[in-house]
Amino acid sequence: MAPLLAEIGGNIHIGLAALGAALGVGFIGMKASEAVGRNPGAATQILVQAILSTAFAEGIVFFAIYLAH
Amino acid sequence: MIITFKQLRRLVMPLMASAICFALPAISSAAEAGEQAEKAEHGISLHAVKLVEFGHGFAITNSMVVTWIVALGIIIFARIATRNIQDVPEGAQNFWEWLVEGLYTFLEGVIGHHLVRKTFWFFATIFIFILFTNWFGLIPGVGTLGWGPGEGSLSIAHVDKPLLRGVNADLNMTFAMAIIFFACWIVWALQENGPGGFILHIFGPKGNTTGLLKVLMIVVFLIVGVLEVVSILFRPVSLSFRLFGNVYAGENMLEAMATLIQNPPWLRMVTSPLIPIPFYFLELLVGIVQALVFMLLTAVFTLLICQHEEKGHH
Repeated sequence: MAPLLAEIGGNIHIGLAALGAALGVGFIGMKASEAVGRNPGAATQILVQAILSTAFAEGIVFFAIYLAH
Repeated sequence: MIITFKQLRRLVMPLMASAICFALPAISSAAEAGEQAEKAEHGISLHAVKLVEFGHGFAITNSMVVTWIVALGIIIFARIATRNIQDVPEGAQNFWEWLVEGLYTFLEGVIGHHLVRKTFWFFATIFIFILFTNWFGLIPGVGTLGWGPGEGSLSIAHVDKPLLRGVNADLNMTFAMAIIFFACWIVWALQENGPGGFILHIFGPKGNTTGLLKVLMIVVFLIVGVLEVVSILFRPVSLSFRLFGNVYAGENMLEAMATLIQNPPWLRMVTSPLIPIPFYFLELLVGIVQALVFMLLTAVFTLLICQHEEKGHH
């Protein structure tokens, strides 16, 4: 079991960061769609908020990638 | 607004046609690739390739060539469109008016009337330039035409030295744009707040507190200010890495999808133009979203430092 885990190692933290970022982006998209559904008039403001939050959420993966080496 | 099926088809058909055009050169490249195509699997190099070297660290890289082509294209297109301005715009003039007016009203909603008049030139330029460079990088031939180890006439196993490269797939370019924004940001912040106000904006206490609590708040906000300085200094890094990472990853993904199936050769010739098509749509979307993200983030950073508490937001 231990040698197997050692084999897995490598870039597992990028995978974890990608998982977290994907969950984050998914949640943002879900809540943004809900918000637009509830208040279609505020679609532009919601888009701005959603894109900003998405950018911050996905930025994590890039830091994880560049910190890998 | 309701889009009828006919309108939708009119929108989608040119897109489909262009996507198929994008994919066409992949057929020829796959035919040329020969048996040594396995070598091509390691993807695109992380740094831009130098085409001409002058020595002393100066060189012309393939991403610089694309930067010049796109910038020249935008300038010439804009000059031609605005050469003969009409009261009732049509054609190219109409396109530019729609683009610039749309951006202006959008930014006015985000950062307010006062700031948009002062900073619009920067954000509009950044958006238009990033958008067109991202989409230029999707044109077939960018990253695939070039020089490489040959074997016989007109047969290249793998292109080592592409003639063109997506501009934002070069960290130098994205970092340069982030640094230019950072300089503009400092100038705007000093103009809006003054040197004292600038320091106070970062380190000063917010909210209304009195007495002993006020002293505590001053200490707390001093420490918060240090954190804020770190986050401000990190902004150019995160801005440039985000854009570079998205575009570079997209190019790698398209290449990986085009070379997904290697054997047998006839199947490779069929699948290498077909499999990347859905990803081309994704990359078109990523191109516009990343341009929007870069513009919005820089706009919001500017708003945050230039916002005055006493005036409220109008």
